[in-house]
Amino acid sequence: MEIFQQLVAAETGDSQAGVDSALVAAVLRKDRKATAEFVAKYSDCVYRYVRARLTPRLDLVDDTVQEIFLAAWEHLSTYRGISPLQGWLLGVARHKVEDYYRSVLRQPELLSDFNQDELHGEGESEIETSLDRKLLQEKAQRVLLSMPRQYSVALLWRYWEQRSAREMAAQTGRTEKAIERLLARARSQFREKWNNE
Amino acid sequence: MSSHNPTSDFFENLAADAQPLEDEAKAPPSLKSRIYSALVRLQSSSGPLLGLRECQEAGHGLCVFEQLVRIAPVGERLKAMNPCQVCHARVLAERFDNAPIYWPHCPYVKFQER
Repeated sequence: MEIFQQLVAAETGDSQAGVDSALVAAVLRKDRKATAEFVAKYSDCVYRYVRARLTPRLDLVDDTVQEIFLAAWEHLSTYRGISPLQGWLLGVARHKVEDYYRSVLRQPELLSDFNQDELHGEGESEIETSLDRKLLQEKAQRVLLSMPRQYSVALLWRYWEQRSAREMAAQTGRTEKAIERLLARARSQFREKWNNE
Repeated sequence: MSSHNPTSDFFENLAADAQPLEDEAKAPPSLKSRIYSALVRLQSSSGPLLGLRECQEAGHGLCVFEQLVRIAPVGERLKAMNPCQVCHARVLAERFDNAPIYWPHCPYVKFQER
């Protein structure tokens, strides 16, 4: 089957798939030099992804990236060469990041006595969206960094990972309503900090 | 999430706009070194690594220490071991992002990206 897929990739001119499959085969043969190439070639993209998704907990990034590569090695034999290796690795990374999100959102919730009135103005927000991209990113990082961890994780999972409240609820054992409330509180606090910066 | 909520729209736009800026970050060389060491350790734990001769035949260059191990009059089992485990290049590279190591074909030098 694998040979067939490699032939199809070659026939369709998908040389990247062939390169990826050859690299994976060499790593599985425990070729140390190929393993070094594997790390050199893909660690930057995995690092970038994890760094963006774990903000503001940058202290967790290095260990998470290492765990991703070790998990990738454990499951590398399941890589079939159909999709690019980078995409496959980012899939592994996504699972690891979501493990972290789950662990944070399963903790007892902050501000359980949160005043619902504070959410009333949410729909009328006038947030400046015309900032330069880089400034926008930097400001977002600063605001996320200043928020309680559950709030920043909820926002990252919902908007950067584009997971629905229903999916987040299913993965954390909470109700969809509870996740929506958490998101509303997180957005409200984000907006307040954003406007006060 | 309702698309009519300006705050929600703002977050969706912010997340979309922030994506390309992720491209600027690179994994530190010391992290790459630690990942490589951990991977090779894990590979070794389930049996011998591919021999140095086979690595060379596959088109890879060997560093000076690996060359020495390859030509040394020792058994294939010893040759399949990882000489990086006892090399100071590994120790330096795992601890410093600009490690003072320079010889060709050393994976830890490759991670320095000079």
